[in-house]
Amino acid sequence: MSAPMIEFDRVSKIYQSGGGPVNALHDVSLSIAAGEFIALIGPSGCGKSTLMRLVGDLEQPSAGGLRVRGKTAHQARLDRDYGIVFQSPVLYEWRSIRKNVELPLEIMGQPGPQRHARASELLRLVGLSDFGDAYPHQLSGGMQQRAAIARALSFEPAILLMDEPFGALDEITRERMQLELLSIWDGGPQRTTVIFVTHSIPEAVFLADRVVVMSPRPGRVERLVTVDLPRPRSFETREDPRFFALVTEVREGLREH
Amino acid sequence: MVAIPQSTFKIQHAFIPPLIAFILAVGSWEVLVRGLGIPLYLLPAPSQVVATFLERPAYLLGIGVATFSNALVGSLIGCSLGCLVAAVCVRWPLVADGLVPLAVAASAVPIIALSPLLGIWLGSISPASKVAVVVVMTFFPTLVNVYRGLISPRADTLMLMHSYAASQRDIFLKLRTPAALPFLFNALRICATLSMIGAVVAEFFGGPQNALGVYIKTEAGILHTSEAWSAILVACLFGLLFYLAIVLVERRALRWK
Ligand SMILES: Nc1ncnc2c1ncn2[C@@H]1O[C@H](COP(=O)(O)OP(=O)(O)OP(=O)(O)O)[C@@H](O)[C@H]1O
Ligand SMILES: [Mg+2]
Repeated sequence: MSAPMIEFDRVSKIYQSGGGPVNALHDVSLSIAAGEFIALIGPSGCGKSTLMRLVGDLEQPSAGGLRVRGKTAHQARLDRDYGIVFQSPVLYEWRSIRKNVELPLEIMGQPGPQRHARASELLRLVGLSDFGDAYPHQLSGGMQQRAAIARALSFEPAILLMDEPFGALDEITRERMQLELLSIWDGGPQRTTVIFVTHSIPEAVFLADRVVVMSPRPGRVERLVTVDLPRPRSFETREDPRFFALVTEVREGLREH
Repeated sequence: MVAIPQSTFKIQHAFIPPLIAFILAVGSWEVLVRGLGIPLYLLPAPSQVVATFLERPAYLLGIGVATFSNALVGSLIGCSLGCLVAAVCVRWPLVADGLVPLAVAASAVPIIALSPLLGIWLGSISPASKVAVVVVMTFFPTLVNVYRGLISPRADTLMLMHSYAASQRDIFLKLRTPAALPFLFNALRICATLSMIGAVVAEFFGGPQNALGVYIKTEAGILHTSEAWSAILVACLFGLLFYLAIVLVERRALRWK
């Protein structure tokens, strides 16, 4: 492959908190290729969100080097390379769904008619065409999360950072959203690089090209599992014996240490 | 959408019970005063107050307008200053650390007690001293409430803005300001009540002949109780109208609620 999209070189992160320093990430080296779909999995507190915030320049590493598209994470943020989807939808309650989707475009100075057209396109993509004028509190949790995804995609960022975006959803909605996400990711002219944090082993295997298994105290990369399941993935993927083998492999990675 | 029948339903529920309570209260006042034969100079019956009002409605409403305009101008200045200083507090947190605790304390203090002093400084007859009382009374609650509103956005809503590399100006206009609107209206509702109290009571310490406070004090002084009550009625009327006007604007502005 060509130059990596995201490169961690012995990155550590230590938080100074009331109860002394917390070693959230220790000596993490990881290289992510352009267009790769990475799933991050690991027990609570192993530093998944921290790793994501480091990439997004919402937090600074304590040691080590981090390059994004050959730039610093800070420069990449200023270049608007990231679309972030948090665990909760984080929609602005005073904006309609459409206006929420348009928010990043508005900040980036896109003219109104263009914004409007782009928002319509995205709302269609995530199945919310009829809800553009609704306000966030009028939507279900799953619909809100879809709006948040549409908002992250609106400005076509090179990198999509998703922190347990489906964590609050029921199993059925969740599996449907996984398929939708993949079809959006697969559908464009070129694939976005995705880092997707999850607590669910099947979800990680189903979505990703590679699963990064992390372990806590201090947070580090325990194992990398390459998912060689064919794309596009579908409901049948989950019945593939290879799928089960990979799930088992990830589970074993989580049990080590 | 379905919003229209829902809101009429709400309005009926909001208005009918207090209306019934009001009629009952005024009714029993009337019955008690007449039944017990309470002399007019102690407590007139509501019907007598209304009759007194109807003897010279134009005059009473006229002095009502004079006093109300002090309340209106004073709260306009006080609330605007409060918003301005709240914005300064957000921009320079050091200012907030010094000022906001003081403002909280000042909101709890009976500022109306300053009224005679403001009379000395600004002339006890002039409207300037009345307006000043209202300015001081409305400034502190507005500052405290709007400041709380401006700092109310949670960490993740701010992180979202940072991920778009949004400017401080955008963060203020597109996140902090709309988040503070419900707090602002809360402050305005408090100020509507306070400002009318402030304007009337300030006139107890002196003011032009044609003013509600002066009229109430003079008439009460010569045991024209019914006349005093008719002016109180006018004060209530203006206070209530001011309050309702703000509630009306609030409903339009916060339609997303
Ligand atoms: N701002 C902070 N200040 C101090 N300590 C923090 C901070 N953020 C995270 N930590 C600590 O760093 C460690 C890793 O946290 P992080 O949120 O990255 O874990 P996580 O893997 O995302 O966990 P979860 O699955 O529960 O979301 C934890 O021990 C946490 O307590
Ligand atoms: Mg987390």
